[in-house]
Amino acid sequence: MLVKDVMRHPVLTVGPETPLEAAYRLLLERGIRHLPVVEGGRVVGVVTDRDLRLATSHLHPGGPRPGTTPVAEVMARPPLTAHPLDPVEEAARLMRERKIGCLPVLEEGRLVGIITGIDLLDALLKLTGVTEPSGRLEVRLPDRPGELARLTGFLAGRGVNIHSLLSYPEEEDVVRAVVRVNTLETHLLAEGLRQEGFDVLWPPKKPW
Amino acid sequence: MVIYREEYRLYDFGPGHPFSPVRLEMLTSLLKALGVWREPLAPPEATREEVLTVHSERLVKRVEAASRGELYPDLPEYGLGTGDTPVFPGMDRAARILVGGTLEGARRILAGERRVLQLGGGLHHAQYDRASGFCVYNDLSVAIRHLVRSGLRVAYLDLDVHHGDGVQWIHYEEREVLTLSLHESGRYLFPGTGQVYELGRGEGLGRKLNLPLEPFAEDEGYLEVFEGLVPWALRAFRPDVLVVQAGADAHFLDPLADLLLTTRAYERLFRRVLEYAEAYAGGRVLFTLGGGYSLDAAVRVWALLYHLFHGLPLPGRLPEGWREHWEARLGQPLTPTLHDPEGAYPEVPRRREIAAYNRRTLERLMELAAPHLLH
Repeated sequence: MLVKDVMRHPVLTVGPETPLEAAYRLLLERGIRHLPVVEGGRVVGVVTDRDLRLATSHLHPGGPRPGTTPVAEVMARPPLTAHPLDPVEEAARLMRERKIGCLPVLEEGRLVGIITGIDLLDALLKLTGVTEPSGRLEVRLPDRPGELARLTGFLAGRGVNIHSLLSYPEEEDVVRAVVRVNTLETHLLAEGLRQEGFDVLWPPKKPW
Repeated sequence: MVIYREEYRLYDFGPGHPFSPVRLEMLTSLLKALGVWREPLAPPEATREEVLTVHSERLVKRVEAASRGELYPDLPEYGLGTGDTPVFPGMDRAARILVGGTLEGARRILAGERRVLQLGGGLHHAQYDRASGFCVYNDLSVAIRHLVRSGLRVAYLDLDVHHGDGVQWIHYEEREVLTLSLHESGRYLFPGTGQVYELGRGEGLGRKLNLPLEPFAEDEGYLEVFEGLVPWALRAFRPDVLVVQAGADAHFLDPLADLLLTTRAYERLFRRVLEYAEAYAGGRVLFTLGGGYSLDAAVRVWALLYHLFHGLPLPGRLPEGWREHWEARLGQPLTPTLHDPEGAYPEVPRRREIAAYNRRTLERLMELAAPHLLH
């Protein structure tokens, strides 16, 4: 999954001279939290609702800034950006490490989109979600070559279609695979997998 | 009034498939052996046009072609020709016969009948544009649409252990249809949907309710949340008729799922449903069958339903001759009594935790639905 698959566009922007109160009204009216600041076709910074609220708060140590202050004075710069062809996990890592809420997406220096934390949640939902009527299998696999192939080969042999497959390292030498398959009969599959020596966590074997 | 005809058994995906017509053969022979079988009403098969009230032309065309042995190459995109829902000769008519039964039930309700038991159907997974999970055509939705077009408000109650997704999606934006589905959570079981936040869209918002339950939920915990949710929703919605999908696969013997109901829970459930129909739906209720893949359990659950439906006293032991015949034919022992024996499965260590979790799910559902449903 790439940034271009989850980013939003077109992007609402402001100029560096835009007063804080105008930027704030824009955020409020459009129900958004992030505004790239663009000057001469180039993204020069990002201003967020948090930047605006902190700058104008009467609790601010230096006193509140007037609403007429240009956003250039409070924006974050230089902006951290992404490319449409970056993998989403790379964008997520950058946002996590720098603790920021969005990345303007640039292609050859041109602003083509924006990706925020909410878009990354959408990506997570898409990766883990149920998009087709399907049953669920959960299997622990030894972390070595060919184990996942053995699992998917077994399913292919039963004529079962895999709608999604999620795997993650569980502990040393073990990988957990969560597979969504196009069948109600997951108990039957689990029984077959156990006979082939797989450690099936779901569905369970009934003791009666 | 009971609706049934022998041709229901033409809906047959072949030997080894769990949705077996043997279930109907066992059930009707048991009711005959018990001496309670009354001649049912034989319904006409549904027409193509009636099926098209809830399904797409392109799905129906593919089912018809597959019935004649002509296989469109894109069948899997329509949920057909899969392991769960394979194609077979004559499947279009076999499915239309089941639809016809449930639709006839709806017509009888409109003609003034109060209680109808359709001994078949309940194909709740079939969607507008695709067959799914053993279900080719959605008999429930065809009947519900007919009732709604005749001016009735319909509450649909789905007791099957799987989420009633087909019925939910077909009526997702409809104001006049309340759907209530209690099922093993989609986190664990097919079809994966049926979470509390699926509440309907547009005019249907707050009128599609889902109570996903933890695996290994038992009689007491299930009944508690059932009795918490169903009368609450029916009182708010004020239906003219209740349509009930009485799947029997939440039973602990079911080989496809993981809830642990016994026949004692089903007895109380069915008694409650009949009471709720009286209290909130003018006494009008249309039952269908549904999932239920332990022959032993499903047949006893539906025999129980048949007796309660007619207000007959419940038998204790089942007729010996019937049992011997079927044990020999199936090559497996059958429970000799209508009810399950006490302590039929081992104690569940997480019982309290599971019940508490399900109670919390009910609270969340009611919080989410209340603003839309109560006014």
